[in-house]
Amino acid sequence: MTLASNHVVIIGYGPVAARLAEELLPSVRQGLLALTIIGEEAAAAYNRVLVADLGVGRTSEEAISVSDPAELEAAGAVVIRGVRVRRVDRARQGVLLEDGVWIPYGKLVFATGARPVVPPLHGLNPDPAAQVPLPRGVIALRDLADAAVLRDAVDRRAHVVVLGGGILGLEAALAARDEGAEVTVVHHGAHTLGRSIDAGAGHTLAAALRARGIQVVSQARAVGVSMAPGANGEASFAALLQENGSAVPGQLLVLSCGVRPRVEVAAGAGLSTNHGILVDHTLASLHDPHVFAIGDCAEIRCLDGNCPECANSTGPLGLIGPGWRQAEWLAAFLTGFSPEALPAERAPVMMLKARGVDVAVAGDVAAGPFDDVPGLAVSLWADPEHGKYVKMNTRGGVLCGFISVGMPRAGAELTLLFERGSELPADRSALLRLNGPDREIVSVPDPARTVCRCAGVTEETITGAVSDGCSSVQEVSAATRAGTGCGGCHGDLKKLIEAHFAPA
Amino acid sequence: MTTLTTTAGTDTHCPYCALQCAMRITPAVAPEIPTIEGREFPTNRGGLCRKGWTSASLLGHPGRVTTPLLKGPDGVHRPIEWAQALDLIADQVQRTRRDFGPDAVGVFGGGGLTNEKAYQLGKFTRLALGTSRIDYNGRFCMSSAAAAGNRAFGLDRGLPFPLTDLDTAHTVLLLGSNVAETMPPFVQHLAGVREAGGLIVVDPRRSATANFTADGAGLHLQPVPATDLVLLLGLSHIVIQDGLVDERFIAERTTGYAALARSVSSWWPERVQAITGVPVHLLRETAHRLAEGRTRGGSYILTGRGVEQHVDGTDTATAAINLALLLGLPGSATSGYGTLTGQGNGQGGREHGQKADQLPGYRKITDPAARAHVAKVWGVDASVIPGPGLPAVELLASLGKPDGVRTFFIHGANVAVSAPNASEVLKGLRSLDFLVVCDFVMSETAREADLVLPVLQWAEEEGTMTTLEGRVLRRRAAVTPPAGARSELWIFSELAQRLDAPSTFSPDPETVFTELRAASEGGLSDYSGIDYALLDSGAEAYWPYPKGSRGTPRLFLEAFAHADGRAVLTAVSPAAVSARDALFRGDTLALITGRLLEHYQSGAQTRRVPELAGAAPHAELLIHPLAAAARGILDGAQVTIANDRGTVRCAAKFSTAIRSDTVFLPFHFPQEENANLLTSAATDPISGMPEFKSASVTVTAGALDPAISDSVPAELQEAS
Repeated sequence: MTLASNHVVIIGYGPVAARLAEELLPSVRQGLLALTIIGEEAAAAYNRVLVADLGVGRTSEEAISVSDPAELEAAGAVVIRGVRVRRVDRARQGVLLEDGVWIPYGKLVFATGARPVVPPLHGLNPDPAAQVPLPRGVIALRDLADAAVLRDAVDRRAHVVVLGGGILGLEAALAARDEGAEVTVVHHGAHTLGRSIDAGAGHTLAAALRARGIQVVSQARAVGVSMAPGANGEASFAALLQENGSAVPGQLLVLSCGVRPRVEVAAGAGLSTNHGILVDHTLASLHDPHVFAIGDCAEIRCLDGNCPECANSTGPLGLIGPGWRQAEWLAAFLTGFSPEALPAERAPVMMLKARGVDVAVAGDVAAGPFDDVPGLAVSLWADPEHGKYVKMNTRGGVLCGFISVGMPRAGAELTLLFERGSELPADRSALLRLNGPDREIVSVPDPARTVCRCAGVTEETITGAVSDGCSSVQEVSAATRAGTGCGGCHGDLKKLIEAHFAPA
Repeated sequence: MTTLTTTAGTDTHCPYCALQCAMRITPAVAPEIPTIEGREFPTNRGGLCRKGWTSASLLGHPGRVTTPLLKGPDGVHRPIEWAQALDLIADQVQRTRRDFGPDAVGVFGGGGLTNEKAYQLGKFTRLALGTSRIDYNGRFCMSSAAAAGNRAFGLDRGLPFPLTDLDTAHTVLLLGSNVAETMPPFVQHLAGVREAGGLIVVDPRRSATANFTADGAGLHLQPVPATDLVLLLGLSHIVIQDGLVDERFIAERTTGYAALARSVSSWWPERVQAITGVPVHLLRETAHRLAEGRTRGGSYILTGRGVEQHVDGTDTATAAINLALLLGLPGSATSGYGTLTGQGNGQGGREHGQKADQLPGYRKITDPAARAHVAKVWGVDASVIPGPGLPAVELLASLGKPDGVRTFFIHGANVAVSAPNASEVLKGLRSLDFLVVCDFVMSETAREADLVLPVLQWAEEEGTMTTLEGRVLRRRAAVTPPAGARSELWIFSELAQRLDAPSTFSPDPETVFTELRAASEGGLSDYSGIDYALLDSGAEAYWPYPKGSRGTPRLFLEAFAHADGRAVLTAVSPAAVSARDALFRGDTLALITGRLLEHYQSGAQTRRVPELAGAAPHAELLIHPLAAAARGILDGAQVTIANDRGTVRCAAKFSTAIRSDTVFLPFHFPQEENANLLTSAATDPISGMPEFKSASVTVTAGALDPAISDSVPAELQEAS
């Protein structure tokens, strides 16, 4: 058992597991810890955020890699790839792999992430344990294999149907469209990003999508997929069927219907799960101090029924940032430090990763400016013709929610203000003008104004020299030193000379 | 009264920054001041800035110190004879050494000293004083970029190419440098890139330089202070993701690519926007413009103190170099990376031994071969040379402390104004047994000295300077110095004699330079092939300039300076988010500091030039009207800027050119206007560079103590 007691086993080799491994590596090198990583995919950890970019050919597998198994192995870690875990035996503190290998652990970390939700459609098997994968022409755009399928479709300029109007669905749709595919987005709400934005922003966004040549089918109820023989005779996706009997034809269906934490192995080992594997504020599972969970598979919900942090928790956020912070914290904890308590995650700011369509949104944005919500102030600006929409919701002057569409500078500043919990300026419109042409303060003509800052020469001095007969920039420079430093004022000098000699 | 000889004009260079603009000085009959003319030269093309034009005001200035001054028990400085002053110093040094050991004597140098003086100061410290305790004010400016350059390229020369190479560039990314105010004639070299629409300036403030990007001349990226590193990681991310990497260059001329690529994979543009506030489309445009420039005239990445003067300054400069390397810019004849050295001899001053860890020729003091070489030139046993000392901030922190420095020499620096957390530095100076300050005016630091030694100014002595491009120049005596002032070389020579120092200490600049050449021979910054005659001929002498060579205008064309000839990509990552957020707690604002066109460094010189002092007599806090409105501050009204290190009081100046979460103070002013009362002495773990560029402050209206302003005025009391 002495061998196993300092043996950390990580189930999962995604970006969060990779961060944990990286942070543990110094201790592994020093022989203080033993480390084993078990990944189901054959590939080393990669940045899942960029899978859509990979799918449309904007980047390469190499460029989205975040971990090097050779480096881990050189430090003394064991990296097992392409193998599933069959079960965890907590009583004997060991992991049994599908191929029969038994790995004892001292500490076990679940970093199993999440898997895409397969909606209940005729022709698809929603069972996560299904042995038969999704049919040909249907992907969930989660891993490298999915990206390769999308890449092929985009290269053929095929018609891609995206089911789901959430942020990931829109990102995939916009990227595929930009790179030349024909794209239809099918979703069941009144507008896309329905859960995050209000109707006004929805209209503005819909116009932006239309302008990009993306067809949007709203209020849709998808019920099935129909298959037809493809080029090589194999049955492949042909159309998405709706409840109203209509069909959206296409060559590829991208499912973007959310993700669900992968908890089966943990649940099978008797650990408590809700949406995710339940852990306390030290990321330890509720009843087994040797087992931890981080990232998309972990749900922080401690045993204290009065814990305010847990009361507001809605389960895993499905974002990479919190997962990385958890990995860093757990690494410090596992290497014997007592890090400060992991800070509660702030409500996330969602930003659409798309070129030319700027959407940032955070917090509670449902209320409108004239809905009498006690304590809530809402200011709103809409310019649908130009694709711009900004909403700022504040409590006591502090930003508690915002939407920004088509306003990159405003969106960037609101993001910062939201994350800092800062008060907004009393004049909210100041944030709207950041992109405006009037941001330069126009100075009124002033003869005492300094024209050449380098040499400190005023307009009066220059016009005086011109009146005395200087008629070129060189002559003015020789007489006044104006323009002899950086030369940036030569244009102004020229204008003053020309103004003097211009016919009255 | 000083008389200035009337002779024909002398060709020399400006006393101030590292651009070393060429000028001609023509002496005049006192009380007229000598005339200054700009002179045709590649860096300044005949141009001078306001500081250069007025630089002669300090020659024959009434505030000039012209005799050694000893502070009496009453705190008043009184003239004494040179011989008496030198004897006193020798006695004091010997007593300190005897009672507390050699490391109780310390020395602080400056990046404005000529190569000869910087070299001799290092030698004097190690051989005559026998102490390891020497460092210099360049630790406050160039150390992070230097450390990053050494790590990546194996060598640190600010610009590894002549400045004129920028003239034809298609893209220039300028990070944290306000050249339009700090070195205005430099901007001439940006005319071409502005014309091409490719000047990209990164600054939290729409500085005068950032304004040069207006009207289609380029882009201004305005990040939150202290987020430059994240911004650069984001640009590298885009370069890799969008396939802009120069793959052949990476394969043939660098190491470390795979680990670097993995490290920036997690910095996608939206994440970077959320931290820096710089919109994604500007990030993308910047990365693509840099890539495009490579084949259309050249792309350059230049960094300044704005990104380097941070606790992660070395890593930030490294991130800038990584970006340049990914794009294949360094080592090309038409593209590159450079850092803009600030002080007049900031380059030469960091090469020849006034750094704590260094011997002449940019040699490491811990390297036995380097010690043997220098010991041979000095004619001493290598064991006589002390080991590494303490970097500037630690050195200053040790003043007057047990086991710290008790007798201290300061040359060409005004630490009472220029060092971070200035009030602690003042305390240190006041707790010394003996402080000797060599200066030509009564700077704020000189006022603290037990003994002030009057030294020569730039136009009164011979010597050499090394510009920001690594070009060695001659500086010439153009006027006769005041009778009582002496060259530091003479002072070292006199003191060395009194202290029975080994080796020789010539008072003659050319003799010292000849020795410097030998000491630098075979080192990274090899000057062995340069002599005064060569420089006087106007030759363009870029180091390394080994004997028999013609110098090196462009470095790295064949190989980088590491043993394998490759540049090293080093993965770097920013500190945890919480550290950045600490800038903005409650109603705090981020304070950034910098320079004004009218002033130079601590202002000890420029505040004494009437024209400059008249144009910018006081510090003003630049504040956005929105931030001001929230605090009841009016334009031009007095404000109090405070944090737990200190309090500054000055006038507010409204500007929409600054982010509304950030305020700006110039650092040229003393006493209660001294920005460095607020800056932190926390340092970069690699370079020892202090965190000058971001501090968290509160800003309140009025100049009164909060305790007083809280009291309720009488009329309101009656009303209530």
